[in-house]
Amino acid sequence: MYFMGLLLIILALIDLRLGSIRISLGEMLGQLWGREMLSDQQMIILTKFRLPRLATALLAGAALPVCGLQMQTLFRNPLAGPYVLGISSGASFGAALVVLGAGATGIAATWSLALAAWIGAGTVMLLLLFVSYRIKDVMTILILGIMFSSGLAAVISIMQYFSQASALKSFVIWSMGSLGNVTASQLSIMTWAISPVLLITLAYSKVLNGLMLGEEYAASMGIRIERTRIIIFATTSILAGTITAFCGPIGFIGIAVPHMSRFLFKRSDHRILMPATMLTGMVVMVFSDIVSQLPGTDRILPINAVTSLIGIPVVIWLVIMNRKAQAL
Amino acid sequence: MDTPGSEHIVSLEKFSIGHQQDQILLSDINLTVGSGEMVALIGRNGTGKSTLLKSMIGLLPFLGGACHLNGKLIARYDLPSRARLVSFVSSQISQLPSLTVGEMVALGRLPYTGWMGRMDQSDHALVDQALEEVQMASFAGRKLDMLSDGERQRAMIARAFAQDTRLMVLDEPTAFLDIPNTFDLIRLLSRFRDGGKSIVYSTHDLETAMQFADKMWVIHEGKIFEGAPEDLGLSGLFDDLFQSSGISYDQQSGRFLLKGPSQGSVRLEGKEDQAKAWTVSALYRLGYKVDSQGSIKISIQPSSAGYQWIVEKDGDNLSFSSLYKMARFLIQGN
Repeated sequence: MYFMGLLLIILALIDLRLGSIRISLGEMLGQLWGREMLSDQQMIILTKFRLPRLATALLAGAALPVCGLQMQTLFRNPLAGPYVLGISSGASFGAALVVLGAGATGIAATWSLALAAWIGAGTVMLLLLFVSYRIKDVMTILILGIMFSSGLAAVISIMQYFSQASALKSFVIWSMGSLGNVTASQLSIMTWAISPVLLITLAYSKVLNGLMLGEEYAASMGIRIERTRIIIFATTSILAGTITAFCGPIGFIGIAVPHMSRFLFKRSDHRILMPATMLTGMVVMVFSDIVSQLPGTDRILPINAVTSLIGIPVVIWLVIMNRKAQAL
Repeated sequence: MDTPGSEHIVSLEKFSIGHQQDQILLSDINLTVGSGEMVALIGRNGTGKSTLLKSMIGLLPFLGGACHLNGKLIARYDLPSRARLVSFVSSQISQLPSLTVGEMVALGRLPYTGWMGRMDQSDHALVDQALEEVQMASFAGRKLDMLSDGERQRAMIARAFAQDTRLMVLDEPTAFLDIPNTFDLIRLLSRFRDGGKSIVYSTHDLETAMQFADKMWVIHEGKIFEGAPEDLGLSGLFDDLFQSSGISYDQQSGRFLLKGPSQGSVRLEGKEDQAKAWTVSALYRLGYKVDSQGSIKISIQPSSAGYQWIVEKDGDNLSFSSLYKMARFLIQGN
């Protein structure tokens, strides 16, 4: 855990250094100590661009894996995650309605984007909840999630076809995922939406442990199933919806990171696993951000491509190496 | 007696169960579980055994009547306090989490720990004791998916033990177990009963249940009968229970017999020892009764290789070195 924390700090500092304008570590630390080491231009770049970008990476890195972990435990399926189950697609659909349909701008757009993504994510979650009551087979739920996301993708592409060129362009850029396009007001919404929800999920770690044997056992051990489901679904919708709204759909972090932290920390106790997953997620996300900036060049890759390339091998490893895919 | 049913850990009055109002499985159920009693619930598949067990402890909604747990209406319990009174072991778990046995048993302490789930010394001690009780102390660090069916079931029971409840309810705990494991498991439960717990479990294994249970609940033709195993045997319930299935309960031997055409009767001579008991068993299997007027006479004698069976039938007098050979002769001779 300490090692991961240290790794996170190192990666965060590397991340802050990256970019076309050179800002050295010494200068940043000096500034932190109150000395005037940085020029105004450097300060603007640091506070307006690089720090918000880092903060976004940290929030997304903590939030998405928590969604994945909660889904994996609730559905008792190692392949569950916000992206795979179509929750990110629901959020995308909400966002697409705002970006492609309404074309709203400004602070109203920021809020409506978040709200639409929450509603989109929440709707898919409700559908999954409804289906999971009737169908116990986790594979079926997974396939339905994939169908939901494909269906929504189809609807979104129809909307794209009929939308205006400028709206289309901003939507396509959004859908590639970006940590850097988050405005100050968006960042504050993200922070206020995500931080308290992360605290709630930490407080529910014990309950998640109880769910590991299934809902019947959980109920027999005094866990209020209905309330727990609602909490898990609401927190997942808010977390995945918020990140998707402002950063675009970021794939495979949600599904892969919980497994990475299970592997690294060798524990299945959620009281450890939950913070461990947040920490691992932040490390992976900041690392992905560094990779996406292609150090040494002035080009930036879409973050979604990087996270997918990191996450997919983990999922493949999970499916192939871990033959007992039902074991969480 | 202070409040009605207070000496009972479970008391069901005019209780009815089912999935919906129009799908009532059993109604007008009046049953009790005494403190420190072991109750075996018997019934054929689909008669509502699981539903009864789960409805009785609040894991499923029930349709009517009243259920008192420890003298208090079940609806009056909040979930954590109910979980400190009743523990449950389900017939199967479809997906095993990658927990170790020790971690899984520790889940039994959930109703007692605070919101962060911190376990103190006494919690850990009880988890250790639970593992000892089921003889799995050395398995604490092993993953659940590395266990055999019998070990896994014992681990699940250890979790219920760690929950430290006066009542333990188990849905077909022996469903996937072989005979020795079944026997061990029920003996384990009867030890818990001797320690003061009340145990209710459902099973298809009538024979083991008859040897261990204080009381049986038998579901038959939409009704449920309650009594000591012997009371129910005496009432002829077991005959009825198996009438349609080609199995009969032999009141004399206390055995279940596959009903086939009777082959006649055998006069059996020999010492009252194991060999005789197994010979009786073989004769029952072949459809013969054992009595003093049998037309076939079989005598068991010790021999250099163990035993030999001398069969006198229709004037023939033949000797066999194994029960198998004797059985082949009896079958072919007819």
